[in-house]
Amino acid sequence: MDNTIKIDHLSHLYDDGSNNPVYALKDVTLTIKDNSYVSIIGHTGSGKSTLVQHINALLKPTTGELSVGDFKIEPKTSNKNLKKFRQHVGMVFQFPEKQLFEETVIKDIMFGPLNYGKSESVAEQLALEAMDLVGLDSKLAEKSPFDLSGGQKRRVAMAGVLAMQPEILILDEPTAGLDPKSHREIMDLIYRMHIDRQMTIILVTHQMDDVVQYSDQVVVMDHGEVVKVGNSTEIFNDPQWLIQHQLALPSNAEFAYRLSQAGYQVPGNLDNIWQLAKAIIEVGEVDHE
Amino acid sequence: MIMSNFIFGRYLPGNSWIHKMSPQAKLLISFFFVLVIFLANNLISYAMLIVLILATIVLSGISISFFIKGIRPLLWLIIFTVLLQILFSSGGTPIFKWGIFSITDQSLINGGYIFIRFLLIIMMSTVLMLTTSPLALADGIQTLLKPLKRLHFPVDTLALMLSIALRFVPTLMDETQTIMNAQRARGVDFGSGSIKHRIKVAVPLLIPLFTGAITHAENLSTAMEARGFTDSEHRSKYRIYKWQKRDTISFLVYILVAVLVILVRK
Ligand SMILES: Nc1ncnc2c1ncn2[C@@H]1O[C@H](COP(=O)(O)OP(=O)(O)OP(=O)(O)O)[C@@H](O)[C@H]1O
Ligand SMILES: [Mg+2]
Repeated sequence: MDNTIKIDHLSHLYDDGSNNPVYALKDVTLTIKDNSYVSIIGHTGSGKSTLVQHINALLKPTTGELSVGDFKIEPKTSNKNLKKFRQHVGMVFQFPEKQLFEETVIKDIMFGPLNYGKSESVAEQLALEAMDLVGLDSKLAEKSPFDLSGGQKRRVAMAGVLAMQPEILILDEPTAGLDPKSHREIMDLIYRMHIDRQMTIILVTHQMDDVVQYSDQVVVMDHGEVVKVGNSTEIFNDPQWLIQHQLALPSNAEFAYRLSQAGYQVPGNLDNIWQLAKAIIEVGEVDHE
Repeated sequence: MIMSNFIFGRYLPGNSWIHKMSPQAKLLISFFFVLVIFLANNLISYAMLIVLILATIVLSGISISFFIKGIRPLLWLIIFTVLLQILFSSGGTPIFKWGIFSITDQSLINGGYIFIRFLLIIMMSTVLMLTTSPLALADGIQTLLKPLKRLHFPVDTLALMLSIALRFVPTLMDETQTIMNAQRARGVDFGSGSIKHRIKVAVPLLIPLFTGAITHAENLSTAMEARGFTDSEHRSKYRIYKWQKRDTISFLVYILVAVLVILVRK
């Protein structure tokens, strides 16, 4: 099945009835290809979470529409058939450990698959697999999720989503507050899901290094609008522009930018540390001459 | 969404006359108004109170749709009470009789009045809630309860508890929304299906909500203790809400209407 996500002139208004409602999304038009790895960046409050919640039909557009494969979500879409649709779109929320509630880890992970009509034994199989994927020891299966460490809870919550075998996986700052090792492991896991299972990955993040390292497409949001779309080279080659939109630079680009500010001419679009190293060597040689 | 029907703890900042009144005055006037409602007993007196509350609403600058939303969750309670009143009250000339039920002209009128009373009380408390920040509200209550201190009633502690509780209402509402979304994404269907199903889906919502609330409480108490909190000190305040001229004027208007109500009632 083709899971292209098409977002068409979508706006979202959080209407709490107050006198000055805010458009959290303004006329967003965006296409996300099937099997791609997309990062969504933007400073706090720019509408990233609001945008990704539309892809899971947790929010409905105020105007405009969005389609995922054959499924279309419009302002007047009824709440009835959403469940079937959500099965294909897994969503890991900001601080997903808040959603844990079962007596045991395994039961919590089985919750999603069971809701989507899997049998007990299949759900358990999926749960055990998911635990293995996220790097949780199977000995933890019968423990209470509330007795785990923060990082372990995060993994249980992720396993709960992965066990549903989604085709599109949305992650809203999945590694916020984790230690560097867990961070790396989780980012690796997401990438593996993308490569091995052809999942479309939509990652909301503030970690520019991850953006550069993993994504095919980067979406920059500011004040509810999509202000730039491109691959990471295109996005990060203009430090001034990024700073203007209150975004950080990836470490390589930051280093290069600092060098250029100090009067050394290094090219702006450096995708990885090797390019940076090469550029520095070249600058050094020029200096020597 | 479910939460948006909920008026409690939903302060709407503003700059109106009502917003600028001190919380203790607003509380006092609200209580006073509720008392006056029970004095009204005929059309003119109720009409006066309706005009008064409408004037208050206009003055608060908050759109009327908010008030209608505030009534909606209580609608069934109101209808039930009004029906009870209509079906079981006695006196007056019967219009309709069936077993122990009888509808009389008097009971219809009484039912109507009860309906108006409900509306008036809800409107008033909605104005109070929407124009007063939770912290100001707690402060107002503290000011009003101050006389009880002489009886060694722990007014300050109570006010602190209240303001903390009120402070966490929006947090918990946000959290409810977040958790509902997270469980929806895991295939839970909230708000549809049989009663049994609805009770079952409350578990994945309530357990995270409670554990979250307990975590908040623990963190907060640790933080307070770490900063040397004890409940015996005399605390100074960052904001001080003094009784102002506008409070007196507002109160006088309400007293005036109350006097009129007493004059025109049967
Ligand atoms: N439930 C809500 N009710 C009302 N307004 C909201 C709600 N959720 C978000 N907003 C508003 O919508 C805007 C976008 O919020 P959103 O959560 O999408 O930002 P974000 O880009 O995810 O930010 P962050 O990086 O901090 O997570 C903000 O101005 C926010 O105040
Ligand atoms: Mg967010």
